[in-house]
Amino acid sequence: MSFKKRYLRTVHLLFIVLLLIHLIPNKLPGDTFGSYVIWFAVGLEVLTLILSAVIKKPLGLNLFLDIVGFIFGFLIIWTLATAKLNIINPALFPPPGKVFKQLIEDNKKIFVNIISSLGIILQGYLLGAVVAIPLGLFLGCSARLGSAATYISKFFGAIPPIVYIPYGIALLPTFRSVSVFVIFLATFWPVLAGTMSGVMNVDKKTIDSAKVLNVNKLSMLFSVILPASLPEIFIGCNQGLTVSFILLTSAEMIGARSGLGYYIKNYSDFGDYTRTLVGLIVIGVVIVFISFLFNKLQKYLLRWKY
Amino acid sequence: MSKIEIENLTVDYVAKNERFTALDDVSFSVGTGEFVSVIGSSGCGKSTLLSIMEGINHPTAGRILIDGKPVEGTGAERGVVFQHYSLFPWMTARKNVAFGVKQVKSDASKKERLKIADRFLKKVGLEKFKNKYPSQLSGGMQQRVAIARALAMDTDILLMDEPFGAIDAKNRTILQELLLSLWEGDGTKERKTVVFVTHDIDEAILLSDKIVMMTGSPGRVYKEIEVPFERPRNRAKLIETNEYNKFRNKLLSLFYSDIRSKIGGEEVVL
Repeated sequence: MSFKKRYLRTVHLLFIVLLLIHLIPNKLPGDTFGSYVIWFAVGLEVLTLILSAVIKKPLGLNLFLDIVGFIFGFLIIWTLATAKLNIINPALFPPPGKVFKQLIEDNKKIFVNIISSLGIILQGYLLGAVVAIPLGLFLGCSARLGSAATYISKFFGAIPPIVYIPYGIALLPTFRSVSVFVIFLATFWPVLAGTMSGVMNVDKKTIDSAKVLNVNKLSMLFSVILPASLPEIFIGCNQGLTVSFILLTSAEMIGARSGLGYYIKNYSDFGDYTRTLVGLIVIGVVIVFISFLFNKLQKYLLRWKY
Repeated sequence: MSKIEIENLTVDYVAKNERFTALDDVSFSVGTGEFVSVIGSSGCGKSTLLSIMEGINHPTAGRILIDGKPVEGTGAERGVVFQHYSLFPWMTARKNVAFGVKQVKSDASKKERLKIADRFLKKVGLEKFKNKYPSQLSGGMQQRVAIARALAMDTDILLMDEPFGAIDAKNRTILQELLLSLWEGDGTKERKTVVFVTHDIDEAILLSDKIVMMTGSPGRVYKEIEVPFERPRNRAKLIETNEYNKFRNKLLSLFYSDIRSKIGGEEVVL
């Protein structure tokens, strides 16, 4: 890549604009903690310059720069609308500096809440997948059981798992177990449906090539049918993951005493919209990070397809 | 005794409530170490015949004997190469071959199996591509891997269903010569018994000891012809001889006379 392509990018212009607008005097009364925004932007800019020098693939660099550019642009608008021009309600939309400051001050609390949320997700999600995949393999192998189970799983999968919460609360001892149960259901049905569909759609020619090799039943299931249905299993797993996050944060907003949903709900009840925004940003970052890891895993396990 | 004995094989299908005879009283035999091609136009039932020999299809009547024992399902003494989709897309070339070896040599360690795989991939000229997935290989390379797997499994019998049917002309020639030299070997080892389905007359002549010509709807054996050329064969030398051309013309006229009789005689201009 040429020097121009590496370093002469719009993202750096946006960085400079973001710095420059901090020279405008504040219209919003009180401290807006602009220095936090500047430090954050400088950190991100340094990271951008380092990666610009290191990344080899132009596409990867473009993606990163575009995302950073979006963040800078968003911060410019946010800063202007709040601290500098004061055109939106400061009680609902605090300036970015305040949010960054709160994020740093609350870091221990946030960390504990992330761990709490992730613990529940992981437990419910893994349990759902670990039960659904073998069951789907088994059911999908029989055409009759598989077609019946497909309709049944469509019926249960269509019911938003959040409606099970009242039953969960009536039947299970703790809020944590209710959340795990609901996430289990949210994962179980789509993964089961995906696995069965994958198994039933394995190309007959693939099965025939395995048959003529004389593979035994166990190899047929785990070395042939399982990998052949993996793409569709992943579709179910993806769906389960997305729904799990939505469910968990909603559930936490209903009755939890910990977790990211609880963090948001608790502070918004007190009208603390700085912390509400902190919670929103953290949830977003956590979900993006988890999907990133999940995509990496998927790309690795399905590397033969690409 | 012949290695494979096909006795009065009949296969009926029911499709859309209509009965349809794919094979009608087909009988022939294949000797031990013999290379037999089954040739015929599309829809003559040659692939159905092979699928019954593979054990993934079952006849309505008649039977197939291998070493005197009737075929029931797939068997470890038969290796198979299909036209498409023989390989598992989630396994590298090397793993595909080793997976085949595992099915016949379950006592061999993983290391030994990979070693065998490497040896056979080298024989088909793919040692550099052994860690590639099938999607990263050309159609011709994929068929090389499939052949390597079938050979690595070291079965008595090889069943090949138009293995080069989807390969371009140049690569097909190369693959035919590769198969010929691997099968003929150096004469120190007993040759495998091969049943090879094709619609390519030149391919059949080059490779086979015997050609079984089939006609369609319903599928029947039309003629069995011994191929008179000596082995080891060399394509370049063979196709220049008069005998080859005479033999080829004879086969072609047999092939077309069959088609002519099927579609109504002399008034049809071919």
